[in-house]
Amino acid sequence: MSTTLAVAHPRTPIGLGRSIAGRIGFLPALLVAVIAGMSAVDPKFYGLINILNILRNASFLAIVACGQALVIVAGGFDLSVGAVVALASVVTAKTMATAAAAFPGNTTLIIASGVAVGLGCGLVVGLINGVCVAKLKVSGFVVTLGTMSATSGVGLMITSGIPVYGMPESFVKGFGRAQVFGLPTAVYVALAVIVVMMFAQRRTLFGRYVYAIGGNVDAAVVSGVSIQRHIVGTYVVSSVLAALTGILLTAQVGSGQASFGGDRMMLQSIAAAVIGGVSLRGGVGRVEIVAISALFLTILGNALNLLHIDSRLQPVFLGVIMVAAVALDELSRRRKSRV
Amino acid sequence: MNADIDLKQTEPLLGLRGISKHFAGVRALDRVDLDVRAGELHVLFGENGAGKSTLINVVSGTFPPDEGTFRFGGEEIRHLTPQRARAIGISPVFQEFSLVPSLTVEENLFLGREVSRGGVLRAREMRQRAQALIDELGFDLDPSWRVDDLSRAHQQMAEIAKALLGRVRLLILDEPTASLTERETGRLFELIARLKSQNVGLIYVSHRMREIRALADRVTVLRDGRHIRTVDAAASTDGELVELMTGRKIDLLFPAIAHKPDKVMVDVENLTLADGSVHDVNFYAQAGEITGIAGLVGCGKSELVRAIYGLAPITSGVVRIDGLPYEFPAPRRSLKHGIAYFPANRIAEGLALSRPIRENASMTGLDLPAFARFGVLRQAAERTAIGRIMAQLQLRPPDIERPAGALSGGNRQKVMLGRALTRELTVFLFDEPSVGIDVGAKLEVYEFMKRLVEAGAAVIVVSSELPEVLALSNRLYVMHNGRIAAELKGAAKTEQNVLASFFRDHLAAEVA
Amino acid sequence: MSDLELSVDAKDTRSARPAPIKWLWHAILPIALVLLLLGFAAVDRRVLSPANLLNIAQQTSYLALFAMAQSVVILTRGFDLALGPAVSMVSVGTALAMASATAAGHDTTTVLLAGLGAGFGLGIACGLFNGVVIATLGVNPFVATLGSYNIAIGVATTLSAGRPVQGVPDLFSRIFYGGSIFGVPATIVITVAVGVVLHLVLARTVFGRSLYIIGTNPRAATVAGLPVKRILALTYVLCSTLAALGAIMMTARTGSGEPNLGGALSLQAIAGAVVGGTSLAGGRGGVGTAVLGALFVTILSNGMNLTRIDGYVQMIVLGAIVIIGVLLDRLRQERSQ
Repeated sequence: MSTTLAVAHPRTPIGLGRSIAGRIGFLPALLVAVIAGMSAVDPKFYGLINILNILRNASFLAIVACGQALVIVAGGFDLSVGAVVALASVVTAKTMATAAAAFPGNTTLIIASGVAVGLGCGLVVGLINGVCVAKLKVSGFVVTLGTMSATSGVGLMITSGIPVYGMPESFVKGFGRAQVFGLPTAVYVALAVIVVMMFAQRRTLFGRYVYAIGGNVDAAVVSGVSIQRHIVGTYVVSSVLAALTGILLTAQVGSGQASFGGDRMMLQSIAAAVIGGVSLRGGVGRVEIVAISALFLTILGNALNLLHIDSRLQPVFLGVIMVAAVALDELSRRRKSRV
Repeated sequence: MNADIDLKQTEPLLGLRGISKHFAGVRALDRVDLDVRAGELHVLFGENGAGKSTLINVVSGTFPPDEGTFRFGGEEIRHLTPQRARAIGISPVFQEFSLVPSLTVEENLFLGREVSRGGVLRAREMRQRAQALIDELGFDLDPSWRVDDLSRAHQQMAEIAKALLGRVRLLILDEPTASLTERETGRLFELIARLKSQNVGLIYVSHRMREIRALADRVTVLRDGRHIRTVDAAASTDGELVELMTGRKIDLLFPAIAHKPDKVMVDVENLTLADGSVHDVNFYAQAGEITGIAGLVGCGKSELVRAIYGLAPITSGVVRIDGLPYEFPAPRRSLKHGIAYFPANRIAEGLALSRPIRENASMTGLDLPAFARFGVLRQAAERTAIGRIMAQLQLRPPDIERPAGALSGGNRQKVMLGRALTRELTVFLFDEPSVGIDVGAKLEVYEFMKRLVEAGAAVIVVSSELPEVLALSNRLYVMHNGRIAAELKGAAKTEQNVLASFFRDHLAAEVA
Repeated sequence: MSDLELSVDAKDTRSARPAPIKWLWHAILPIALVLLLLGFAAVDRRVLSPANLLNIAQQTSYLALFAMAQSVVILTRGFDLALGPAVSMVSVGTALAMASATAAGHDTTTVLLAGLGAGFGLGIACGLFNGVVIATLGVNPFVATLGSYNIAIGVATTLSAGRPVQGVPDLFSRIFYGGSIFGVPATIVITVAVGVVLHLVLARTVFGRSLYIIGTNPRAATVAGLPVKRILALTYVLCSTLAALGAIMMTARTGSGEPNLGGALSLQAIAGAVVGGTSLAGGRGGVGTAVLGALFVTILSNGMNLTRIDGYVQMIVLGAIVIIGVLLDRLRQERSQ
């Protein structure tokens, strides 16, 4: 393959070791290896309940990671996603409980208001993040660090740390815990998000400009791309997707909890993005690979559980894999720059 | 009625009057006038730092002028932005490429003016238009290639194609042939002829006499940020242009240096660099003389000295310092071997701008007992030593506690020179030593080199300014396309011979 | 020639800003601190009582230590997200080492030495990991320390099985928490001593000078021949060592090794450093800014506690303060340019 390319275009050095290409091949292979190995070791692994469990958890992570990936592609970071998951969860539950008291029986209105207010929370946090980063030029890391603290504070203040009940049955049993064609609804939502995001990345002005801003912001400015609007857009998408995950989690568990998401979700979403080939230098990364990497992380966690590896030791694996992925990327980049 | 038509015809496409631009500490443009007519190729000619790039940046809307009027197509233009410039037909091609490395050629061509409907891209249409444009230009370029996989020449083509997408009335080319081969250069010249016939105005920045002769209708000479003269290309000789550019008798500015070549201090054998910028280069530099390296932008001359200092990885070849092999060069070890390097870009690679002059000047000497013992700084000794050195170099004003960022270009270079005086050094590598500094400071830098050489040091000067290397060096190497094209000394060291060694290469390429 | 040179010099002098405004920018935080104290005192007199002031000083001494640690890496344009988990890990390790040394029947000195050895050992190991991954492999500090964040959490909870580790000898707590010199609590003495030494290191040593130069312009530092990689690695080791010291002091306070001790410390330390005026762009900040920032954060939470402001509201306030702090820093930078 590479030789034909080289013959066809003799003056163009095609980067053989281009990191992203290498990683696309490397991640599914790793995924297959884990699946095959686990299936051989423990039949419980390919049991239906376990598979559904994996898919559901992977869906939650994939949705958050897609948003995170978009922000990182544009050259930022969103530390607030975990807190937004929690806030959306409690706000959705609280709104539904209030609406149920005000309009008993009107299930559609109750659910619609809950979901709308939950997503609205995401929108607001995303706008704050985006405006602070794009207009006030404050580092994205610090802004989202601040909104993370503030958002968790709001979530806890609303609930005082106690789970919020009182959502309509149809929301929990009919949606959150329901299965369509044998798969949890969350899986379909995640697939829809991934497809829409793939389309946005490949086929829309927004996606193109996000790549351009992350790849070379000066070139984007000179070419007349409006930087601020698109940076705000990435943070809004990230927060709204996190809020969506919060709503899905709420529907599945049946209560709004300020303990959903949190640091763990935030760290895992960054890990999924980074392992999925999103470059921290910006400008590179595809959501579908990020989704596969979210699946991989979920399966890895599940496998470690089934192997009775102390759950406390599991973060060690996550940490090592993450650092290794970026170190490999860095080394291949260094090799390439010398060619 | 008639007069009206006449007026319209004589009004140039672009008319600049009294354009000035200041940057922190430096006056880059000083009341410059420039007219470009439709269908004309107008060359901007001047030394590095003469204000050419500032001027084309003003024309293309990258930054606004501090004063002056800007007329384009008969209208007064205010608050020009890059977007607006493109919209009214001003298309720049910069040397620093405005391409996004992680996107494809096609995506870059359309960046900022994608064909879309309701926010959704129309990929097929863009692909077709990109292909059509590249075919029309005759470039050997595939729109689906990713820019970071392209060679510099291909990136240059993509950049030119990007500028020509859409309606263009004024095309700005900044040394466009610097990285093109002879054949590609030929294509570009055909393209330029076609654009001129379509009444497009062109601003063309170049150092190369041959290109100016082949293409120019008029030439505007800039020097030290000022408009010197605009002449008809056909009515002026090379000598006149060079004299206008330098504005002086060469012997008057450059100090007379008594070269006394002694033992070989730097000896490079078959050197090839990892990034491919230098191939199989042999050269040497002796103590007591200035060795010059001349060549066009991107010929590998800068990379060569950077490799000796340890800033560019070497794949094969031997570097000997004072007769001993020097393997795996690194800046810290180079300094210990007595080698100093003065980078061309003093902002990116030289100075920590917000730190005091004192700290910037002592940076390379912190491992010496004169500045630190057991890792603890000797602050009083440092202050005295740096104060003395900077006084010797006539830093103005002589306050060494001010941040380096508050200094003018010339004074910044003095801080860099000051570093060299903090330790025992025998080899000095100067990379474009006079870029961005004013005439007076240049003279002081040359005097500094003179003192070094006459004290027995080996000095290597890399420069794109021919008069500079010609006058300073005792022996002069000419580099072309990563190789040494000629070694000139004594009476053979003339501008004609340097240019001839480029042309020989060009001619060889044309014959082949 | 001469008139050009003159105009350049005239411009140079003009760019030097009048001193009072500069001074005002530096004084914003101390003024805010005083106003904050007075404001809380208006609500509740106890805020200014000697007992509470001593309490504030003691509380500040932990956070100041961590903010100093964080500042050192932020100076080089880095971050240490693993600081909090490293604190947990050191706490657990120290307690475990002392408990097992006691169980093995060693004398008190050996037990204390074992605890300190284990604690600093773990801290230095964590710093070495960060330093090598960041400086040698060139991994972005954010990801590298996010990785070690997870690893340290795993190690801390695994070693302790998720429960507090008992068996910290009384003497340990008496020295590092209860002890005092001329009536000044040990925590304050230690933090002040560390602060003075660190300040001298930053201002008076080649290492300290190099930190500022690397943070201001890493390329220039490399070209000037500074051992950039070695210094960067050392910076992370220093940060983790300071964190280990803080962890040991906190373990002495709680009297047990706590796997959740670090919790939000990484972020609080970054907040303290940043609020104090340490620039995330590198090259600006020091012991003074870290201590001021830590003091500010501590007084804020102490005052809010005393005035019975809800803990959750405090999180919101802290978040807002961090953003405002960085915003102020950016404005300050813009004005000084």
